[in-house]
Amino acid sequence: MAEVRLVDIEKKYGSFLAVPQQSLTIEDGEFLVLLGPSGCGKTTTMRMIAGLEDITAGDIQIAGERVNDKPPKDRDIAMVFQNYGLYPHMTVRQNIEYPLKLRKVNKAERARRVQDTADKVELGTLLDRRPSELSGGQRQRVALARAIVRTPKIFLMDEPLSNLDAKLRVTMRAELKHLHHELGVTTVYVTHDQMEAMTLADRVAVMREGRIVQLDTPKRIYSDPADLFVAGFIGSPSMNLIDGAVQDGRFIAEGMDLPVSLPDRDEVVFGIRPEDLELADGDTPIKGRLYALELTGESTLVTMRAGKTSVCARGHADFEAPINAPCHLAPKTGARFYLFDRATGQRLDG
Amino acid sequence: MNERTLSYALLVPAFVIVIATTIYPLAYSFVTSFREWDLTKQLRPSGFVGLQNYAHAATESGFQNSLWVTAIFVVTSVILTVVLAMSLALLLRRTGRLHTFTRIILILPFAMSPALIGVSYRFMFNPEFGVLAKGLGAVFPALEGTPWLANPDLAMAILVITDVWHWAPYMTFMCLGGLASVPRETEEAARIDGASNLRIVFGIILPQMKGVLLVTAVLKTIFALKMFDQVVTLTGGGPGTSTETMAFFIFNVGFEWFDMGYASALAWILTIITMVISAWYVRMLLSERKMATA
Amino acid sequence: MNKYIAYWGERALLVLISVVVLFPIGWMFLTAFKKPRDAYSLSLNFEPTVQNFVTVFSDPWNLGSMVLNSVIVAGATVAIAVPCASLAAYSFSRFRVRGRKFLFFLILSTQFIPAVVILLPFFLMFRSLGLLDTRVALIIVNLAIVTPFVIWMIKGFIDAIPTDSEEAAMIDGASRLRVIKDIVLPMAAPGILTSSIFCFILTWNEFMFALILSRRDAVTLPVGLVSFRTERGDLWELMSAAGVMITVPIFIMALLIQKHFTRGMTAGAVK
Ligand SMILES: Nc1ncnc2c1ncn2[C@@H]1O[C@H](COP(=O)(O)OP(=O)(O)OP(=O)(O)O)[C@@H](O)[C@H]1O
Ligand SMILES: [Mg+2]
Repeated sequence: MAEVRLVDIEKKYGSFLAVPQQSLTIEDGEFLVLLGPSGCGKTTTMRMIAGLEDITAGDIQIAGERVNDKPPKDRDIAMVFQNYGLYPHMTVRQNIEYPLKLRKVNKAERARRVQDTADKVELGTLLDRRPSELSGGQRQRVALARAIVRTPKIFLMDEPLSNLDAKLRVTMRAELKHLHHELGVTTVYVTHDQMEAMTLADRVAVMREGRIVQLDTPKRIYSDPADLFVAGFIGSPSMNLIDGAVQDGRFIAEGMDLPVSLPDRDEVVFGIRPEDLELADGDTPIKGRLYALELTGESTLVTMRAGKTSVCARGHADFEAPINAPCHLAPKTGARFYLFDRATGQRLDG
Repeated sequence: MNERTLSYALLVPAFVIVIATTIYPLAYSFVTSFREWDLTKQLRPSGFVGLQNYAHAATESGFQNSLWVTAIFVVTSVILTVVLAMSLALLLRRTGRLHTFTRIILILPFAMSPALIGVSYRFMFNPEFGVLAKGLGAVFPALEGTPWLANPDLAMAILVITDVWHWAPYMTFMCLGGLASVPRETEEAARIDGASNLRIVFGIILPQMKGVLLVTAVLKTIFALKMFDQVVTLTGGGPGTSTETMAFFIFNVGFEWFDMGYASALAWILTIITMVISAWYVRMLLSERKMATA
Repeated sequence: MNKYIAYWGERALLVLISVVVLFPIGWMFLTAFKKPRDAYSLSLNFEPTVQNFVTVFSDPWNLGSMVLNSVIVAGATVAIAVPCASLAAYSFSRFRVRGRKFLFFLILSTQFIPAVVILLPFFLMFRSLGLLDTRVALIIVNLAIVTPFVIWMIKGFIDAIPTDSEEAAMIDGASRLRVIKDIVLPMAAPGILTSSIFCFILTWNEFMFALILSRRDAVTLPVGLVSFRTERGDLWELMSAAGVMITVPIFIMALLIQKHFTRGMTAGAVK
């Protein structure tokens, strides 16, 4: 158990700056999720914490100790690799057992823990196979088991559930949550799945081009995005972002006209989440024609268009209307909306 | 031990070997090449004679002859080997039982001792009872009784044949490896576009094989420049001096005449020739790489 | 019709190639089992005999001691070269150490050096050390030929192994040396075995060094062949028998690594 501190760390691959001057403190026992588009430096950040990648500037501290020059094996970390990194010449059992063997855990104890862990990730029956005889999802579970078979100071998990089917993913998610609750090990977790991020994280760090653009609780990341990028990245379906201008205290765009508290300016982006909109009748602030209907199961996604403006709302599952029919949308009462500067992406309200 | 120290430590044993068995002897022979040292007259080398040994090489006919012999040998054997290897690879890359069988037995000539290859070709080309000499005589009566290895040109030709027989299979494997990395799709796309087989080979496959073919040619050239074993067991350098390659000639200077100074100088000349040719190839290879990645 | 010609043409070519490859070898094997009289005829109708093998293994030829020399020289060369080369290959493949490119090039460039260049000084050194006609001398010179080559080859194999598993092992708590032992060696084993056999073949067939550095006690098989050239002429049937002894073990090894062969060749070559 340990606090992890990244102080002004920087990573260059040759002349390519993958992570520029980044600081981040992960509290003792915290579950931190790294979120961001592909190639933004999540894996690189993890590898630096693990010691697999030299940092080109800055400091890394684990439990108050500077570890820049410590080899991975002495950092007491367990990691699930994005591409598994299994030992192809060992059986599943030997793979999971290996970290314990290195720590000279006795044989009986080893066998017990391997079996326990394998059962947790539902691999109990596959222990004598080799990685090449497993499916992608099974391999990923071996990688997960190998990491959680011991209790390290820090867990690093790089998309550990990405290859599992939806059902197993939910089970494993709960398993990980429980494990974290039980052991309280500091965990850094990368995922593309927002549901995973929301349910697991104590805090979420949203990254973009190597930088952390917002570090906050899942709730606040969702309800109070720092800028246009975070707003667009978090949420599924993603937030409606509408280009327009503010005139006389009203946001104006094609098919849209609604009051906001902002001085007049051009180049404004108005953001509102689909679940904050509802279908209404009569003179609503958002008007257009129905463009598409997508049934997701518990609700229907209604896409409306007016000129260049395209707005998506979450409607009732049994909503039905012909395409091109007139469509009226209104913010629900108490709905949140956001205003951004189009050029810089900065929040203009709140 | 930290990573840096370890990374160098791992290199130590190999470098000890390379330095002791290659770098040191090289330096030794380099120094010797500037000395007079006739082993039949003196046990220890006498004084330095400057470039005298090298100057001698410029005028001595035996060496000039060996240069010429080596040049002919290298050019013919490299061209034949590379062309043959590439053709074999194109033929053998398909799957099929006969293809697989041929691929498997192709490793045998490479595994065979070159000295033994020389011996067995010598046996087969013996004009009185050699199976190839007799066989060719039976098929082409004009060839009956040809003294194969006693004719300078034919002896050279047979020497080249033994070498091609030895190396072409190995080089075929290299080309096969290269072919495996040529993406199937480009070839299939061309086929769908209606390109003929010949066009596909020359227009699509060979351009992508340039790098591999160059490497093959470098290796073959280096091996050909060292040609020695078959010269001893097949022709003995003869008839006359018509198949005395440089390696063979240097060997004779050193171990028949025991003129160590001169032999060392000649060996260094051969080394420099090899280096120059290799450097030239490497430059071609690098520019080829650059073009491929651009 | 065209397709028909292409199909059979291709097969005919393959058969022709196989014949060209196998004929010289086959003829040698046949001759090895012929009586001296039959060896000089082209007849395939002969009474096979193993007499030639008996002869070559007895006085004055004593092929047995040459076999022993060859086995010891080639075996020891492999046993020394391959472990050293594997470590170096790993270092070249995985560490970004300073001067790495230069050092690797230095190693490779020794391959360009003609063997005669180092033969002369070795002859002189071994003469003054009293090591002429010993197996030790042959092992030392063979190391010169084989080591750079094996480094190059094994590096090719290691380069082809992804680094993920090694990194996982380091995270799991293994030291570099432990990683090499537990992860790299088992994964590179086929490549290392292939390289070892390769190295064995090269040493086993080596001729020039052995010709000069051995006289009586350390004579290896390829040099032994030359001794069947006597005043009475070449004794082909005995040479063939000796040839069979040289080739059979090597052929078996070569066929064993056949599958990995192409990969090993190109792994190193194309990089
Ligand atoms: N070894 C390397 N050499 C050069 N550039 C690299 C290397 N590894 C990563 N990069 C670059 O660094 C950037 C960050 O890569 P990283 O793997 O951390 O992304 P990621 O956020 O994990 O993406 P993904 O979600 O796709 O896994 C990318 O632009 C990538 O191209
Ligand atoms: Mg990643």
